[in-house]
Amino acid sequence: MPYTTQIQDKARELLAGDQVSCVIGYEVGSRGRTRPAFIYDPDDVERLVWNQNCTHNLTTYLQDKLRPDRGQSEEEPRRVAVVVKPCDSRAINVMLAENHFAREQVHVIGVACDGILEGAGFGKATEGVLQARCERCSERTPVVYDTLIGEAPEVETSDEAAFADLADLEAMTPSERAEFWLSQFDRCIRCYACRQVCPMCSCPTCLFERDDSLWVGMRIELNEKRTFHLGRAYHLAGRCVGCDECERVCPMDIPISLLNRKLAKEIEVQFAYRAGEEPVPSPIITILSGEEG
Amino acid sequence: MYEPKIIGFLCRWCSYTGADLAGTSRLKSPWNLRAVRVPCSGRVSPELIMRAFDEGADGVLVLGCHIGECHYDNGNHRTAKRMPVLHALMEFAGLEPERLRLDWVSASEGQRFAQIATEFTETVQALGPCKWQQNGLPIHTAEVMEVPDAGVGG
Repeated sequence: MPYTTQIQDKARELLAGDQVSCVIGYEVGSRGRTRPAFIYDPDDVERLVWNQNCTHNLTTYLQDKLRPDRGQSEEEPRRVAVVVKPCDSRAINVMLAENHFAREQVHVIGVACDGILEGAGFGKATEGVLQARCERCSERTPVVYDTLIGEAPEVETSDEAAFADLADLEAMTPSERAEFWLSQFDRCIRCYACRQVCPMCSCPTCLFERDDSLWVGMRIELNEKRTFHLGRAYHLAGRCVGCDECERVCPMDIPISLLNRKLAKEIEVQFAYRAGEEPVPSPIITILSGEEG
Repeated sequence: MYEPKIIGFLCRWCSYTGADLAGTSRLKSPWNLRAVRVPCSGRVSPELIMRAFDEGADGVLVLGCHIGECHYDNGNHRTAKRMPVLHALMEFAGLEPERLRLDWVSASEGQRFAQIATEFTETVQALGPCKWQQNGLPIHTAEVMEVPDAGVGG
């Protein structure tokens, strides 16, 4: 595939020129599944691929790979390159707005995306069937990149389509909704896969995993699972870029993205803001405009 | 008559004093509201509110200083931005939206405090007991648990 060669060439150039210490990309694993790859050596770049199974949001690994080694001087921060889809590129903007790292530390290899196949990441990809998030997606060119690979396809989506599946839930009565969500949360095993995979969940110690936390519990009980899911959704309000990785990795098939998208919609309605379009902080954490004392 | 349990998170610089004023002025306000003094309405994190409902509150009232009067300059700005979002989330998760309310009461507004507390209590009273806590219990507990006839003191 032409994209694959272009990514490989760029990665080789960056690694050989010592511009980055690591290239985060995709490779095809031994069982034929596409999986994240970390390339440190220019001789290894042949492993990198691009295909329609590249579902993972690789920006999750950025903070780990950019964390300075002990004793490393602050004058020379680490630099890495990362392969991103348009949806993942929005996550970079959110992280930049939150000062997780400096822009020059990341070389973004943006790929214009045709959409990712349903079942990707599990070796069950169905040819020609796109993931629901890709069907909704209107952003086919990364919003932030240093190198752009490919050309964005023409797609037609409407703004209404973005939140269409929320309408069914919103039409329910509160008690019906409570029942729906409790039946979903009931399956949760608190494996925290949704949290681990999320590029935005980066607290060193998660509030929901602190045994000295006064307000949230760690037990696998329905009310505490509900608090975990609602709390997590809330912590992502105005930050979630809708990569839907949390939902993909959930072993219990909880429709987590519904919560995230509900809040994304709320933020859009109330603050006219979409996470990650620009590297500016979410309006939910700033003060009211025109009211500064 | 059903007597709801209401948790009020009151900012110590304004609403808590406002509630005090309501008391010293001998204004009648419902006893259903259990006041929790917080340093600022911005201190009321969503976890606190969810915890209150989890522990059996029928309603949560958050009162802070009017915008522009915050002791910490912009603490209530954060409340003003967070609460509508939390409100939407709780509603989406199946809470009646009327059970959560944010309002502003200054230290001199004893009358306003009494009025808001009464209004809110009446609203929650009309809704009846909140199912949030009970729904969240494991099914086996819910079956054997006797739901107390909510009398005085709950």
